[in-house]
Amino acid sequence: MRRTLDVIYSAAAWAAALFMIGTLGMILLSVLGRLLDFHVRGTDAYAGYCMASAAFLALAHTLKRGEHIRVTLFLDRLGAKGNRALEIWSHGTGALLAGLLAWFAARLVWQSFQFHDISQGNDATPLWIPQLGMVIGAVVFLIALVEDFVTVLRGGQLRHRAPDAEPVRSE
Amino acid sequence: MEFAITLTLIIFLFALLGSGLWIGLALLGVGWLGMELFSARPAGDAMAVTIWGSASSWTLTALPMFLWMGEILFRTKLSEDMFKGLAPWLEKLPGRLLHTNVIGCTIFAAVSGSSAATCATIGKITLPELAKRGYPEAITVGTLAGAGTLGLLIPPSIIMIVYGVAAEVSIAKLFIGGVLPGLMLAGLFMGWIIVWALANPGAIPPITEKTTLGQKLYASRNLIPIVMLIAVVLGSIYIGVATATEAAALGVVGSLVLAAFQQSLNWGTFRESLMGATRLYCMIALILAGSSFLTLSMGYLGLPRQLAEWIGGLGLTPFWLLFGLMWFYIILGCFLDGISMVVLTIGVIQPTITAAGIDPVWFGIFLVVVVEMAQITPPVGFNLFVLQGMTNRQITWIAKTAMPAFLLMVGAVGLLYAFPGLVTWLPQRMVG
Repeated sequence: MRRTLDVIYSAAAWAAALFMIGTLGMILLSVLGRLLDFHVRGTDAYAGYCMASAAFLALAHTLKRGEHIRVTLFLDRLGAKGNRALEIWSHGTGALLAGLLAWFAARLVWQSFQFHDISQGNDATPLWIPQLGMVIGAVVFLIALVEDFVTVLRGGQLRHRAPDAEPVRSE
Repeated sequence: MEFAITLTLIIFLFALLGSGLWIGLALLGVGWLGMELFSARPAGDAMAVTIWGSASSWTLTALPMFLWMGEILFRTKLSEDMFKGLAPWLEKLPGRLLHTNVIGCTIFAAVSGSSAATCATIGKITLPELAKRGYPEAITVGTLAGAGTLGLLIPPSIIMIVYGVAAEVSIAKLFIGGVLPGLMLAGLFMGWIIVWALANPGAIPPITEKTTLGQKLYASRNLIPIVMLIAVVLGSIYIGVATATEAAALGVVGSLVLAAFQQSLNWGTFRESLMGATRLYCMIALILAGSSFLTLSMGYLGLPRQLAEWIGGLGLTPFWLLFGLMWFYIILGCFLDGISMVVLTIGVIQPTITAAGIDPVWFGIFLVVVVEMAQITPPVGFNLFVLQGMTNRQITWIAKTAMPAFLLMVGAVGLLYAFPGLVTWLPQRMVG
């Protein structure tokens, strides 16, 4: 079970990394196009779609590496018992919110598909296709949070904070 | 009634944040609650559309690209080269090699969008080198913690992209507007080192290696790669041939080329930099997603307008408004990271700023300096975390060593207020 889930998380992470490269590729394509005087339609929009997919698909992997930031001020200062209670609460609430996100993201895709919602940019992409990345990522994120929720409920140890954990260099 | 709604939401927000819920999800939750309870619009569909719109916006693509660039450069020998190129020039200056912290961070900040990345990249080389030569640890760590924050103020800057997207201000203008204030702050930090060195004679170890002018010049060749990279990234924005996003993509390519030339590019480092950047971006994207929906929800409740009217009714002068905001952000910065702070407040505060007649580019730079302070104030400060990992010291000890830097930043805000031209002069002269 755990093996299968890990495969899902890393597959999504790899897809996210590919979409990062895709974002870069799309921006470079538009730069090149301007320099060499050719025009590829909708590179700007595609760069945005790639970026969105990269973000959502990496959600679960980032969670598992313990790199989504949270305020740990109280978590760290409470005793073992209080810490566990708070972990159960935050994982439960987190899973609930991720569930809402996944559900309504799926609904959005379904609506885009049904009403043939088309991008207003000059790429004219049917929007449900790029939005799929958002749904898949949100669902995998939900699975990861539920897995962790079950783990803390059972009193197990989370695997967050990998041994090579280094501080995030975000800002 | 409206006051009660606001208060409920704020209490709810801080309860969620304090309980250890991931920040992005906490913002999402409060946005949801506000919209479900106090407005007629169905929250779920609005949430999905808003999040999709903000997550796929083209302006934002500069952000993951600059993060990736930073991750690549962190894994190159760039910081070693910079140390070799800078050190010989600093023999005569009081404080000598301590200045490698400030000048190194200043130069690296011009290719890095993040304060913690700047701190980590420069500290990786200066901390061991200065310790080896017998420099006192406290001043080494303190100046590094302070100078690292220049990563935010000197463009490119992650926080400026976040602010620019949230407040709909030109990112290119914000970037260029940060140049002079960044150099000014670097100058203040160097002044601090000089004063410290003069006040503590004997604390700085004697010179070990003397160099001739020829040797100095020859050592400077190590700086060529980074200067070229800066020219590509910032130069292209300033002369108007590239947008911030395009400059970021060129920066990624340039960093990869640089890494290849230094023979530090292989499959392993490429993969690590890519995955590292993806995770960092994902972490920020979750916060941005949550905040975009929270901002929408707050807008529905009319919160920003009410706040603007309330503050307008107080009859504050811009000085006292900014003074109050500065302390508000400093306190908030003790508990929240800079990005969360900006996205959480900007939607609500912007109408107030506009009403007070404050230039949005100037306010962006003001905000960045205040966020820089947050980087070195405990208990939550990313530079402190980075340095804690590198020195194995207590956060409180590191924060104490960086205290002068904090005070200098407060002074810098004062200077920016007194001389707004520091921010606005350069962007007005941009091409395009």
